[in-house]
Amino acid sequence: MDKLRLYRLLLAARLRSQLQYRVSFALEATSSFTTPFVELIAILILFRTFPNLGGWTAGEVVFLYGLATTSLAVAEMLSSGIDQTSDLIREGNFDRILIRPVNPLLQVLATDFQLRKIGRLMQGGVALTLAQLLITPHWTLLKGLVFFSALCSTVLVFCTIFLIGAAICFWTIDRSEIQNVFVYGGTEIASNPLNIYDQRLQALFLYLIPIGLTVFYPALYILGKPDPLMLPPFMPFLAPVVALLFLSLGLLIWEFGLRHYQGTGS
Amino acid sequence: MRAYLAAARMSYWRYYTYSIATIAGVITNGFFGLLRSYVFIAFYQNRPIAAGYRLSDALTYVWLSQAMIMPLFMWGWVEIAETIRTGAIASDLTRPINYFGYWLSRDLGRAGYHTLFRWLPTMMLGIIFFRITVPTAPLTWLAYLISLLLAIILSFCLRFMINVVGFWTTDVRGISGMVLLFVNFFTGFLIPLEFFPPAARAIVLQLPFAGLVSIPNRIFLGQATGAEIFLLLGQQLGWTIVLILAAHLLLHVATRKLVVQGG
Amino acid sequence: MALIEARQLSKHFRVGQRGGLLRRLRDQPSGGRDVAAVTDISFTVEPGEMVAYIGPNGAGKSTTIKMLTGILVPSSGQANVAGLVPWQQRTTLASRIGVVFGQRTQLWWDLPLHESFRLLQHIYRIPTDRYRENLAQLTAVLDLAPFLDRPVRQLSLGQRMRGDLAAAILHEPPILYLDEPTIGLDVVAKERIRTFLQERNQQQGTTILLTTHDMADISRLCERMLIIDHGKLLYDGRVSAISEYYGGQRRLIVDLADDVADPVVPGAHLERREGSRLWLSFRRDETTAPALIATLTARYPIRDLTLEEPDIEAVVRRIYEEGLPGDATAPTGAPMVAP
Repeated sequence: MDKLRLYRLLLAARLRSQLQYRVSFALEATSSFTTPFVELIAILILFRTFPNLGGWTAGEVVFLYGLATTSLAVAEMLSSGIDQTSDLIREGNFDRILIRPVNPLLQVLATDFQLRKIGRLMQGGVALTLAQLLITPHWTLLKGLVFFSALCSTVLVFCTIFLIGAAICFWTIDRSEIQNVFVYGGTEIASNPLNIYDQRLQALFLYLIPIGLTVFYPALYILGKPDPLMLPPFMPFLAPVVALLFLSLGLLIWEFGLRHYQGTGS
Repeated sequence: MRAYLAAARMSYWRYYTYSIATIAGVITNGFFGLLRSYVFIAFYQNRPIAAGYRLSDALTYVWLSQAMIMPLFMWGWVEIAETIRTGAIASDLTRPINYFGYWLSRDLGRAGYHTLFRWLPTMMLGIIFFRITVPTAPLTWLAYLISLLLAIILSFCLRFMINVVGFWTTDVRGISGMVLLFVNFFTGFLIPLEFFPPAARAIVLQLPFAGLVSIPNRIFLGQATGAEIFLLLGQQLGWTIVLILAAHLLLHVATRKLVVQGG
Repeated sequence: MALIEARQLSKHFRVGQRGGLLRRLRDQPSGGRDVAAVTDISFTVEPGEMVAYIGPNGAGKSTTIKMLTGILVPSSGQANVAGLVPWQQRTTLASRIGVVFGQRTQLWWDLPLHESFRLLQHIYRIPTDRYRENLAQLTAVLDLAPFLDRPVRQLSLGQRMRGDLAAAILHEPPILYLDEPTIGLDVVAKERIRTFLQERNQQQGTTILLTTHDMADISRLCERMLIIDHGKLLYDGRVSAISEYYGGQRRLIVDLADDVADPVVPGAHLERREGSRLWLSFRRDETTAPALIATLTARYPIRDLTLEEPDIEAVVRRIYEEGLPGDATAPTGAPMVAP
C-alpha cells in the first residue's frame, strides 16, 4: 500500500509541474488528439470506396481501431516513465535510482506520466463511440466484461512492450526502432481484422506479442463474428491470461537486464 | 558556392556514420510497408480498380510513401530550434553566407544520403516482397527525381519555418506535432488523395502539401503523361518558390526580434 | 567490527564489445579487451571515520564506491557494509547510506526543492516528526530557506550541491559517500560545505567516505586517506604523512628558448619534459621560486614560465613512480599502510 502511495505522490508532483506549461501542454494535447484523428478519417474515406475489409464493415473496423487506440493511449500515459529509462541510463542518472530503498522498476514507472497523451485517449473514445453508432452491437453483461478485460489486457501488453524496450537499454542497444515497430506496428495490426495478414504475421501477433489475442478475439466475440482462423472458441476469454503471461516475460527480461547492468556497470 | 557544397557533403557523411540506425530504419519502413500492403490487398478483393488505382498501383504507392519518409524527414526535425534554444544561432546568423541556403545545403546532403540508403533499400524490399512496379521509361525516372528534389526542398521550407517559430515559443515539439497532422493526411501519405470525396479532393490536390508525396508518387506511377507532368512539376515549383519566400520573410521577422530583444 | 569492509575487491570490464550491434557482430566470441578497473582493493573503515578516497580520473574510485553501494557486482572479492553484502542486499542497505554524486543531482529536476525532500521522506519512510526536525535543522545549517520552493534546474551549482547534501542526509544514514561534493564551487561555498561535513562527522558520528580532487578538502577534513591509481590501492594511511611531504610542493612549468637534451636543475625535481618544456617541482622549504628561476636562467635561456600548486594527479603519479617518501618499496604490489 505504501508503494501505491508513493507512486501517487510522484505522479501528482509530475502532473503539477506539467500543467504549468499550459500553452505547450494545450498544443501537444491538441496534436495528440488530431493526429490519430486523421487515421480514423483515413479509414472512413477508404470505406467509401471499398465496402468491406476482409469481411469486416467500416463500423467493425472502427471498433477494432478504437479498442487498440484507447489501450495504447492509456499504456502510453502510464509507461512514459519506462520510456525514459534509456535516457536515464545514457545520461548516467540510473545509479541514483539504485541507491534508493525502493524497487527500481517502481521508481522508473513513477518518473513520468504524460498527461498530454490524453488526446489519443479521447480519440480512442471517439472511435469507440462512432463504432457503437455504426453497428450497435448487442451488448450483454458477459460481452461488457469481455470488452473491459480486452481493454485492460491490451494496456498490459503495450506496457510490457515498453518495459521490454526499456530493458533492452541495459544492454546498450538502441531500441527505438524495434519498439516503434512493435508498438505502432502492433497497433496497426490490431486495428485491422487479423485475417488479412500473412500467416506468419498472425502467429507473431497472436502468440509472441499477443495483441491479436487481446483485441481481435474479444472483438470477434463482442461483434458476434465467426472466427476466420478456426481457433478454439474460448480464445476471446484468454486475453487476461495471455497478457499476464506476457507481462511475466517482460518482468523477467527487465530483471535480466538490471542484473546485466549491475554486472557490467555503466 | 563552395561553402554550400561543403555543408552538403559534411551533412551526408555525418549521416553515413549512423549505419546501424539506417539498417534498423529500413527494416521499420519495410515492416510498415508490409502491413499497409496487406490492407490494400484485402480492400481490393472488393473491386479491381478504385479512384484510378489498380491494386498494383496502390501497393507501389504504399512503398513509395514509406521510402520517402526519411528523404522528406518531416517528422521531428528540430535542429535549428535547438540552436535557438542554446543561443548558438546568434553566431550562425553572423556568418557571411545565406542562412537559409546554408541549412538547405545541409539538408540536401542529408537527403542525398537518405535517398540512397533509405529510399532505395525500401523500394527494393517492396520489389522483392510485393513485386511493385517501377517505371521503365527513363524520362519518367527523370521527372520523378526532379519531383522528389522539389518535394524535399518543399519539406525543408516547412520544417525551416516551424523551427524558426522557435524564436517565439520554447516548445517547438508541440507545433511540430500539429504539422504531423497535415503531413500525414494532406500530403497523401496515408492514402492517395484521389480517394478523398470529390469536393475535398479538388482542394487538397492544389495545396502545397500535395507536392510532398502525392505529386511525386503520381509521376512515378505514370499517372501523369506529357503535358500533365509539366503541370504537376510546375505546381510543386510554384509552391516551393512561395514557401522559400515565406521562409525568408519569417526569418527576417525573427532576426529583427533577436536584434531588438537580444535573444 | 568495521562498518565498511572491502576484501580484495576486483572488477574488470570487457571493453570493445559494448555499444553497437555491428561491433558486437564483428568481434570474435571471445573478443574485446579486458580492462581491470579495480584490482584487489582491501581496506576497512571504522564507524565515525572520515576518510579521503583519492586518485586520478579513471583510477577506479567510482567503481569502488559503486561496489560498496551495491550498484555494481564485483568480478571477485568480498565486501561488507553495515553487516550487509552490498550487491546482494542493495535495497536493505540503501536505507543506511546516503550518496552525493557530485556532477549529477539526485533531486527531481523540474520540481521545487521541498517537493524533492517530501518525496524522499516517503521513499526512505522517515517518520513525519523526525522528517520535520531533520529538514528544519538541515535548512538552517545549509541555509536552504531562500530557494526551497524553486525548481532544482533553476538553482546555482552551490545551491544544488547543498540541496543534494540535505537530500543525502535527510534519512540520517550512518554512512555517507560523497563524490566530489565541492567541485566547481567557489571558495565560500566550499568552506560552508566543509564545515557542515565536519560537524556531521564529529557531532553525529556519521562515517564519511570522501572522493575529491581538492587537496584542501582533504587536509581540512580527513585524517586518513586512501590513494588509488590504475585500480590498485597505493596508500592507506595518515593524511599528514603525505601532506607533510607534498604539501610544501610547488611546480614551475618553464619553456626553454632552445631544446636541451638533459637539463639539470639543482634544487628541483624534473617531473616531466616535452621538447623544450620542463615541469619542475620544488619544495617551499628548500628553495624559493625566484631563486629557482635565477638558477635556471643562469644555465638555460627561458622563453616563458608558469608557477603552479601541485594537484592530486602529480602527487599520485609521483607516489606511483617513486614510492612513498622514506620507503624503499615501489608500489607495484601491496599498498603501503602507514600509521
